[in-house]
Amino acid sequence: MKLSLNWLKDYIDPKLSTDALIERLTMAGLEVEAVESISGDTVLELEITPNRPDCLSVLGLAREIGAITGKPVKYPKVKKHQTATLKNLIRIENKKDCSRYIGTLIEDARINDAPREMRARLASLGINAINNAVDITNYVLKETGQPLHTFDYDKLAGGKIIVRRARAGESIVTLDGVERKLDASILVIADEQKPVAIAGIMGGRDTQITAGTKRILLESAHFDMGLIRRASRSLGLRSDSSYRFERNVNIDGVLTGANRSTDLLLQLTGGKLAGRAQVWAKTAKASSRVKVKIAEIESLLGTKAAPIKIKTYLAKLGFKLTAKAGILTVTPPENRADIAQDVDVIEEIARMIGFDRLPSKLPVIKTVNLSVDKRPREVKSQIRKVLIAGGIDEIITHSMINTKALVKSNLSDMPAVRIFNPLNQDQELMRPVMLPSFLQVAVTNINRGQKDLRLFELGKTYFKDGEKETLGILLKGVHFFDLKGILDRIFQIIGINAVYKPAQISAFVPSCAAAIFIDAKQIGVLGLIDRKVLKNWDIKSQDIYFAGLHLDEILTKPGKSIKYQPISEFPAIVRDVSLSVKKEIPYKKIEEICRQKGGDILRSVHFIEQYLGDKIQPGNKGLVFSCHYQSNARTLREDEVSAVHEGILQALTHDLGAIRR
Amino acid sequence: MKWNFQDIQKQAQDDAQAIGNPQELEAFRLKYLGKKGIVAEIFASLGPADPADKAAIGKGANELRGLVEKLHAEKSGWVNAAKSLEEQVDISLPGTGEDLGHTHILTQTMQEIIAVLEGMGFVTIETPEIETEFHNFTGLNIPIDHPSRDAFDTFYLDAEDPSSKGRRLLLRSHTSPGQVRIMKKHKPPMAVIVPGRVYRPDAVDASHSFMFHQIEGLLVDEKVQFSELKGLLTEFCKRFFGPKVSMRFRPHFFPFTEPSAEVDINAEILGIQRKKWLEILGCGMVNPKVFEAVGYPKGKYKGLAFGMGVERMAMLKYGINDIRLFYENDVRFLKQF
Repeated sequence: MKLSLNWLKDYIDPKLSTDALIERLTMAGLEVEAVESISGDTVLELEITPNRPDCLSVLGLAREIGAITGKPVKYPKVKKHQTATLKNLIRIENKKDCSRYIGTLIEDARINDAPREMRARLASLGINAINNAVDITNYVLKETGQPLHTFDYDKLAGGKIIVRRARAGESIVTLDGVERKLDASILVIADEQKPVAIAGIMGGRDTQITAGTKRILLESAHFDMGLIRRASRSLGLRSDSSYRFERNVNIDGVLTGANRSTDLLLQLTGGKLAGRAQVWAKTAKASSRVKVKIAEIESLLGTKAAPIKIKTYLAKLGFKLTAKAGILTVTPPENRADIAQDVDVIEEIARMIGFDRLPSKLPVIKTVNLSVDKRPREVKSQIRKVLIAGGIDEIITHSMINTKALVKSNLSDMPAVRIFNPLNQDQELMRPVMLPSFLQVAVTNINRGQKDLRLFELGKTYFKDGEKETLGILLKGVHFFDLKGILDRIFQIIGINAVYKPAQISAFVPSCAAAIFIDAKQIGVLGLIDRKVLKNWDIKSQDIYFAGLHLDEILTKPGKSIKYQPISEFPAIVRDVSLSVKKEIPYKKIEEICRQKGGDILRSVHFIEQYLGDKIQPGNKGLVFSCHYQSNARTLREDEVSAVHEGILQALTHDLGAIRR
Repeated sequence: MKWNFQDIQKQAQDDAQAIGNPQELEAFRLKYLGKKGIVAEIFASLGPADPADKAAIGKGANELRGLVEKLHAEKSGWVNAAKSLEEQVDISLPGTGEDLGHTHILTQTMQEIIAVLEGMGFVTIETPEIETEFHNFTGLNIPIDHPSRDAFDTFYLDAEDPSSKGRRLLLRSHTSPGQVRIMKKHKPPMAVIVPGRVYRPDAVDASHSFMFHQIEGLLVDEKVQFSELKGLLTEFCKRFFGPKVSMRFRPHFFPFTEPSAEVDINAEILGIQRKKWLEILGCGMVNPKVFEAVGYPKGKYKGLAFGMGVERMAMLKYGINDIRLFYENDVRFLKQF
């Protein structure tokens, strides 16, 4: 809302410098967001919060400044004109949509320019001058806050005003020259044939005031706030009028606005008053009285305020009040529909005292009465620490992706929750998987010359049945086992056993992909990203690995369950094994056989290295590992270890066709 | 096969262990890697060897050479270091080891804010991003078709709210629905914070993003006062921005608090010249209508609530001038923090 200080001075002289006025307004909740100097005038841009439609006018702000500064407000003098009542001019189909309508008819008007002063004032608020009649309605809107409209009465078919819902198929060309399709959700002002204005939003071009207009019909009305808001949104059309109606302008302004603009129209167009028609809904006026316990003021604000002071503060704002037995009965002015509960009155008192002058003390926070499982957050924090210690950088990416990103990642068959009202394609879907987000970040960084990437995100993925805590890791310039090693460290620190199984995953190279299971439930995948996928993303490198894990199971699992094993006092014997086996035999199988045959003296099996190359029989791989033997009860003899060890080697040869090297 | 590589390797390790000076180091190298050293000898034996053993011998020799080279390198470092016991060590040389990764600056800022508030007695609870109309709006005294919704343009999902026929699920446009969820489930006293992602269909530019992060705070008890809201947030700002921060509380409007305020801090403390005050958060006393919506007995409780944007806090504190940097994830940005 723009406020011209020259205009303001017509009604109040705050006797403050501009800076001081800005400070006082801001600290009273009317934040000044910008200050502009326009040809000898200063124009303030104020943020008026939705609860204060009464401040959406020069007079409204004058009243508020009067309350803040204690300076008197001079209201404009409006001459009362007596006139005949016009019958059958206005018909309102549903008074819920329009609870008050005053139509004033002026004859013999001469349409030309408005006075220079009026035009200059409108110009300083960014409003173009049109002609005296239209400028008056704009001027009075800015002055009083009441939206108004003028019709060329001779262009209204049947000389009638009908306030009704638009009919399917109707349309109107509005003042801005745009044809707008209407429907039954939109309230219109119509004549006997067609809509002539979109109620509360914008007039129609065909019935506007022109140089040739002789008879003016002035509209001053009150429309339902929700109706205007919905129509304004569905039409994508906002105006000074709709802005005020959807904030619920003061219904008493209908008469004030009608009288003020009638007076100005008669003065400036030289016309004669031909009559007026009024339709008033019998709205049962809700009691606007609010009861406030005086003790409640202190218990909410933390400060005592003397009743006499309270009375002064509220009187300045135009509130009437009576006090009895510690209870204030407060009647706010008509234009303060926002005052409905005791806390609203208390806020006004606080505002008048000044928030900065209210006391400040630390709260007493009692033991919180709700038990919170801190473990999920702790576990997430541990995971983050492991990843950071592993030299991996955390990223934060958008939760939304576009359909194309899924297709490019070979994941087009993944069902995803759609956004109903995205601003653009990049917000079409809630991501069901993190890979596309990572690939986008990878492309950005590779294009900027980064060679190695180590990235993770702890965020969410989204599904029909809700959202899942998800971890994504992308590594470039490393090996599969570097990524697996990182996952192993995560599982180790939170104390869970994960099982990796070969899997077919569409985004990964088939020979280098695994699914991760916990308690027989798949929680994630890892693998080498498929070349086609990388090509789709314009990534030339081929060494990009990705892991994605759903964390909810991990975060809610109880902590490690470990039983202490006594530390053996006796020496361990270590035997290295080097053998070759068929490539398709997983190392895990070998480890299993070692454990089966190792009896109770085999403590552990440690993988040392894998060898693939031409020094091995074709189709085989070389494996080196060590078996650690130890007993808690005695020193093992060489020969008994050798016997068990030999048993293992024979089983490996027999069961797996292993060849010793 | 005549070579027992296990034994030879063991011997090499023992020999290396015994090295105490540069002369012994050189002798070690010659013993294994010299022209007439053991490795050369093993390779020489390849020719006459049994063809079946050749591969193993070659491999053994190569492994032995690798091991000895490694031991020699390690030992020479040690010998030189030993020598330097008399010489000054250049302690200005960098330490060794892998670089750490970097926690995203938004996570760090959130952790920092949460740490301050947890230190003051708040507990952290995370609530969902996919929300209902009730939690995000109606329960917070933001009616349908009301201008107070203007500040909360919202993404809706193509999915129906199972708890309210005909209404869509939505992406929370602020963390305040967490208040409604927590109060519906728990009785006061409570002091909770709700951090997380929020979404608004804003066109993206240097200061707007359609996704950002907020932290919500809520304290409810039988006696809570506006003066405590001021005290709490003053203490918070001192701990977060430093003890010299100055603040002001400006009246404002939020549908779910009454009175409501916005808090500004002095721009000077952050070295910002172009403005005097910077808005950092919104707050107020919980509106009784919110207590009513969550089913608390009328008039029994009072509460204070506040909410802040994490991106804004991080941008102010670390001088980041474009919100898009947070989500672009250029590693040269990430590695600065």
